Amino acid sequence: MPVFDKIAMSTAPILHPGNQLLFNGYDPGSFYDEMVAPSGQPRPSSAPMYEKLANMPLEIYEERRKLADLSYLVQGITFTVYSDGRGTERLFPFDLVPRIIPRSEWDLIERGLAQRVTALNLYLQDIYGQQRILKDRIVPRNLVYSCKHFRREMVGLAVPRDIYIHICGTDLVRDSRTGEYLVLEDNARSPSGISYVLENRLVMRRTFPRAFELLEVLPVDHYPAELVQILRSLSPRSADRPVIVLLTPGLYNSAYFEHCFLAQEMGIELVEGRDLVVADDVVYMKTIHGLTRVDVIYRRVDDDFLDPLAFRADSLVGVPGLMNAYRAGNIALANAVGTGVADDKAIYAYVPQFIRYYLGEDPILHNVETYLCSNPTQLSYVLEHLPELVVKAVGESGGYGMLMGPSADKKTIEDFRQRLIADPRNYIAQPVIPLSRCPAFDAATGSMSPRHVDLRPYCLYDGEKVTIVPGGLTRVALQRGSLVVNSSQGGGSKDTWVLRGEE
Amino acid sequence: MMLSRIADSLFWIGRYMERADNTARILDVNYHMLLEQPPDTYKLRWDPLITITGERTRFYKKYEEANAQAAFDFLGYSEDNPNSIGQCIICARENARTIRDRISRELWEDINGLYHKINKLRDYGGDLSSFCDAVKKGGHRFHGVCDATLARDEGWHFLQAGCALERAEMTARILDVHYHQLLEGPQILNEARSHAWMAVLKSVAAYEFYKRQYTLIEPHKVAELLLLDARHPRSVRFNLGILQNSLYSISGSVPGTYANEAERLTSRTHERLTYDSIDEIFSSGLHNFLEDLLDTCRIIGAEITQTYLYYAVVA
Repeated sequence: MPVFDKIAMSTAPILHPGNQLLFNGYDPGSFYDEMVAPSGQPRPSSAPMYEKLANMPLEIYEERRKLADLSYLVQGITFTVYSDGRGTERLFPFDLVPRIIPRSEWDLIERGLAQRVTALNLYLQDIYGQQRILKDRIVPRNLVYSCKHFRREMVGLAVPRDIYIHICGTDLVRDSRTGEYLVLEDNARSPSGISYVLENRLVMRRTFPRAFELLEVLPVDHYPAELVQILRSLSPRSADRPVIVLLTPGLYNSAYFEHCFLAQEMGIELVEGRDLVVADDVVYMKTIHGLTRVDVIYRRVDDDFLDPLAFRADSLVGVPGLMNAYRAGNIALANAVGTGVADDKAIYAYVPQFIRYYLGEDPILHNVETYLCSNPTQLSYVLEHLPELVVKAVGESGGYGMLMGPSADKKTIEDFRQRLIADPRNYIAQPVIPLSRCPAFDAATGSMSPRHVDLRPYCLYDGEKVTIVPGGLTRVALQRGSLVVNSSQGGGSKDTWVLRGEE
Repeated sequence: MMLSRIADSLFWIGRYMERADNTARILDVNYHMLLEQPPDTYKLRWDPLITITGERTRFYKKYEEANAQAAFDFLGYSEDNPNSIGQCIICARENARTIRDRISRELWEDINGLYHKINKLRDYGGDLSSFCDAVKKGGHRFHGVCDATLARDEGWHFLQAGCALERAEMTARILDVHYHQLLEGPQILNEARSHAWMAVLKSVAAYEFYKRQYTLIEPHKVAELLLLDARHPRSVRFNLGILQNSLYSISGSVPGTYANEAERLTSRTHERLTYDSIDEIFSSGLHNFLEDLLDTCRIIGAEITQTYLYYAVVA
């Protein structure tokens, strides 16, 4: 590893006098705290880690924090900010305090997500197939057809092994009032972030090796192996070693690091659109010794940009003719085209009904209460209560097109009111959930402060069972009081630990 | 199985890293040599450097005269010079970043580390010496990390080919420019001339080796070593040998035959450097020989691209 003696870091160490302890004056407050019970005592599964941190001198903690930051910088796990004209690279903030999930809670999450992902796949199979759920009037036909990501090209097209969502990232939050985990949204197109889960774990193992010896944290490293096994099973040719590639939009995509990381971990080729070519409905890649046939594409390019002949004609990152090859059954895509009709935020409200309809079961994990603005009664309720609600555009992700009622000014609220009236189908509203919190290091005070967190586990579906690596990405709103965990809004991440114990 | 785009990136990582390294070497050696020289030889000594890099026009558009500060600025970090060391390292890093799944984690971290290191030197106003030192050490480490962590597959050979082709070209250019200046340029003191030749040797890390071989500094012996030596890793012949080996490994052709134009030209030039004597080369004119050599190197680069890296027609 190259030697960095002094690196200019945005997080210069702040030295505080005396033997300040990290948890001095820590107040879990009125929110559910993932690590500390209301009594001020650590929760049982978090106790060993809490004790370790509580007894750690600030200087030592700072030193470890700097080492961790350094390892991200050395590996180039950065995102680029272009505002200063020179393209400064910033680190994705990482907080060293792990979020620890008790085993019993994890088992519930696991069962709940497996149920949900299975139902979402059955729904997609149905929507692009017989459409029983529309005929039985469980979900309104026009709601489905008006989804931005509904792909009529997919109707009647058989996908390999009937799997639509191979990889699903579902965002969970814990409601402070009840302590219950709720599903905030599903990401069924190409969810990103798993590379942070794996890298965060790597850094944590180096930073707190003794804690890992002591605590038996369940491993997450097998994710790429599980994924590549699913990808292999999709190959339309019965070749011994199917050719699998990861299709990326390229270097300037914010998730490019993740694309490289996963391709390398899975031992598959990382390709850009320009590396592929379609001839006679077969996909090939351009190698130094000529064209090589491709069997499976793990694509991280959105539907819209996948094939300029089928979707957006101005796409430069796609592969012309890819949809024809897909239709001809000569190539498998993961995730399938058109899965956005499952993670649309208006469709989300119906997922509990999907679970009942397709599986005949009650949902294990509940939704956040949701008002569909396409429904006139619900719209008028929303319009009356805008300052208390969160309003979201249905086809967006990443915190875009969102109104946070309680913190918005009058003008923004009025602006949204007009938008809702003009295009009600495009919006849903939800009550503000008081998210649970977890201790995070605050460099300004040199001690721990509670910060709001969410959780994104990554589910893999092979057509029969759902596999979930224990834990997932915990995103943390590093600004005091903020409920927004997106990295573009000052959010960071934490390692998430599920402990082996208490089975 | 290797994607053309990835082979292309590896080829250019080799070229850019080598270009940065060679530029730092000539910059550093020149600077130190001049510390002991009378000031009137200044112009003479910084101007050739700019010529070596092939960026004269661009340079004189920006600076009035060639002095240490201007040369450092232009060859060190300048964004107006696509071949400045800083720009070469940025390009090498961008290429490495694009294919980081195909190279070892160590290699990526090394190139990325070099990038941060020289940025830090710039931000803290590091001097020419420490800058060049960092780049040269970076070059050594780059070769070390490649050697110790990369599999000897086709990608390796594209990287090698890029390094070897660039190094052969740089050595030939250094020789060409200095020969021109020292023999045909204005009269300068013999002592200064001998210092200049020593500087040339030092810039390609061949000074100690030369001393052991020849003892006295004689221009055509210097040329002999830089062009024809079979053992020194910066001689043109040595590098064309590496290039030849890599090209044949990629195509699988056997020695004595060739599968493409790049192989034919490389083998032909390597033969000449093996069997021509330095006296024969001098009698037909060194400058012409070097010009021809540089031209051939350029064509070899273009042919490699044509054969392996570029798809003109969509299937």
